[in-house]
Amino acid sequence: MTTGIRAARVARWNLASSRRGALRARVGVRSGCANRRPNANVDWAELIGRVASRGDRAAFKALFEYFGPRIKGFLIKTGSNADDAEEIAQSTMVAVWTKAAQFDPASAGAAAWIFTIARNLRIDAARRAARDGRLGQESARDDEADPNLASDLIVSRVEDTARVAAAIERLSAEQSTVIRLSFIEERPHSEIAAALGLPLGTVKSRIRLAMNRLRELLDDAT
Amino acid sequence: MTISHHPPEDLLADFAIGALDAAEQLVVGVHVADCPRCRRFVRAVEQLAGASLEAIPPVAMADSAFDAVMARIDSRPKAAPQINEAAGADPELTDLPELVKRCKIGKRRRVAPGLSMRPILLSGAGPSRAFLLRAEPGTRMLEHSHSGTELTLVLHGSFSHDGGRYGPGDFDYGDDEVDHRPIVGDEGPCLCLVAMTGDLRMHGLLGRLISPFVRL
Repeated sequence: MTTGIRAARVARWNLASSRRGALRARVGVRSGCANRRPNANVDWAELIGRVASRGDRAAFKALFEYFGPRIKGFLIKTGSNADDAEEIAQSTMVAVWTKAAQFDPASAGAAAWIFTIARNLRIDAARRAARDGRLGQESARDDEADPNLASDLIVSRVEDTARVAAAIERLSAEQSTVIRLSFIEERPHSEIAAALGLPLGTVKSRIRLAMNRLRELLDDAT
Repeated sequence: MTISHHPPEDLLADFAIGALDAAEQLVVGVHVADCPRCRRFVRAVEQLAGASLEAIPPVAMADSAFDAVMARIDSRPKAAPQINEAAGADPELTDLPELVKRCKIGKRRRVAPGLSMRPILLSGAGPSRAFLLRAEPGTRMLEHSHSGTELTLVLHGSFSHDGGRYGPGDFDYGDDEVDHRPIVGDEGPCLCLVAMTGDLRMHGLLGRLISPFVRL
């Protein structure tokens, strides 16, 4: 059932906004392991801490050089045009500086935290664009209050963090790759099938299985 | 609060990556804020998104980007405290979840006997509308289905239909395949936060007769 809903929802979203239509590109599957990254020896959380505690510009520059182009690449891959991606990536880095003190390395990885900032800024930008677009005919509505993004209010708890980390750890490489490609990078099923060497007909059931497995692992009381 | 009905996983994943429109984002967000189980799921998707962020090939920033960012950091204005006067005086609005209080909420209007709604004015683009729906105890909604989707979150009271009983914090996902006939519980008025696309379709002779008068 859920994949059917998903298909309908994605189709609707494509109609509602062109943001997601154009972004299908080559699948560059990595191992699916969340911990493997080119600069695994750099402790990004520690650098964010240095920005927070003493406005360390060298630490910030290292963060900027690593994450800036990755935020931009991620945004382009998931539907933003290059200009918007540049602007949102810059704003994200400004927010990394201003919100550095709110980053809690115990509750989220640096990359996940930076992802949430970029996500929120992209939503804000889309809403601003929508509002500006209809200012002409409905000027009375331009003062609408926006509920700042829901997730800002969702405070993570320490025990959640441990369970989330444990669940992701236990997810197989294929399952985390399937979730990433289908739900985060929004690749079409045909690309996921090609990337994983699966028949197309199998992809849908693998996606469902992976999502159910993630729920199960998260529900496990450990 | 014991929550027994949750949003489907793909809806939570879309919430986590910011792919929902404003009305849906609000309804799912209010559920997630109160539901540890779904909060963990959203966190997990965010962690995986962080992995994607690092895995996708980087694209070079503009040459001036670092200087531009430092200039913005050095010249940023002091943050002004944000106060939402919209939720201030109205006693009906004081008992709402924080996220809803931050929204601009329109005037109440009657929808049908025992049923009234207040629109939530969101600035975002998107096909769905958000509103607060209030039903008096014991109200029996007409058998209906939807031409689009309907996300419903119970804030107070309860209702029941084929899918079970829905109390505070419970989330009900209705799409055009669902045909249901909810009954509001007797314990008090039922207040729900709803994001809806399309329109309600009433079934049966009476439904077809009153349908033009049901303004949802």
